[in-house]
Amino acid sequence: MKFYTLDMLKKYNGRNGNPSYIAFKGKIYDVSKSFLWKNGKHQALHSAGMDLTEALKKAPHGEDFIKRFPLIGYLKI
Amino acid sequence: MAKVAREMVERAGIDVDKLLELLIKNAAAELTTYYYYTILRANLIGLEGETIKEIAEIARIEDRNHFEALVPRIYELGGKLPNDMKEFHDMSACPPARLPEKLNAKEILKVLVEAERCAVRGYTQICNMTAGKDHRTYDLALAILNEEIEHESWFSEFLGEGPSGHFMRRGETSPFVSKFLK
Repeated sequence: MKFYTLDMLKKYNGRNGNPSYIAFKGKIYDVSKSFLWKNGKHQALHSAGMDLTEALKKAPHGEDFIKRFPLIGYLKI
Repeated sequence: MAKVAREMVERAGIDVDKLLELLIKNAAAELTTYYYYTILRANLIGLEGETIKEIAEIARIEDRNHFEALVPRIYELGGKLPNDMKEFHDMSACPPARLPEKLNAKEILKVLVEAERCAVRGYTQICNMTAGKDHRTYDLALAILNEEIEHESWFSEFLGEGPSGHFMRRGETSPFVSKFLK
């Protein structure tokens, strides 16, 4: 498993052919293949390449939705 | 566009462009669901399938009504639907409710209930975003949410997850959304 800083994570925003990665509770998930993460955007409100731990608190779904995605690394603080 | 209506929403602190994107994505989800439910309904056959066919049909028609009800609000706020139908399909707020590979009533029910749950999440989000700020969008999203919750509970009941707590529709469809269709 690879470690990513927040700065490294920014590159994986789903744009210009880059995969879409998101951070949640210190883990990095690959959401590239999700229909709901096309072009690195989710429901007009969230972007890939970011730590979404705080954002999930206001989301209309639980963390189980994130844990369905492939775990590909950890967040390096 | 309703200029002052949009201005009021902006002044209440809502990012109208983001709200519009959400409304368009959910309109896409409604119209594509209407399409996919047509196929699901056609495949609800036999003793088990026929039992579910009528509620699938009601949900299908009401989802189309939701699309019809959302469109005027999108244009009022200065938004528009994409010219390209494929683009519209692909921007849906919910994944396509495709016919399952294993074709039986239970598998179709799982697709139906997941589609409704996605809709419930979507309209809850819009309600949360607009409550006390954009009264008209909130009223519309709440009306749709009421119907989506009923759809979810109907399909959930057939999956053995517990009683829905209510009866089937009597008479006209869309008891909550119909006021936006007149």
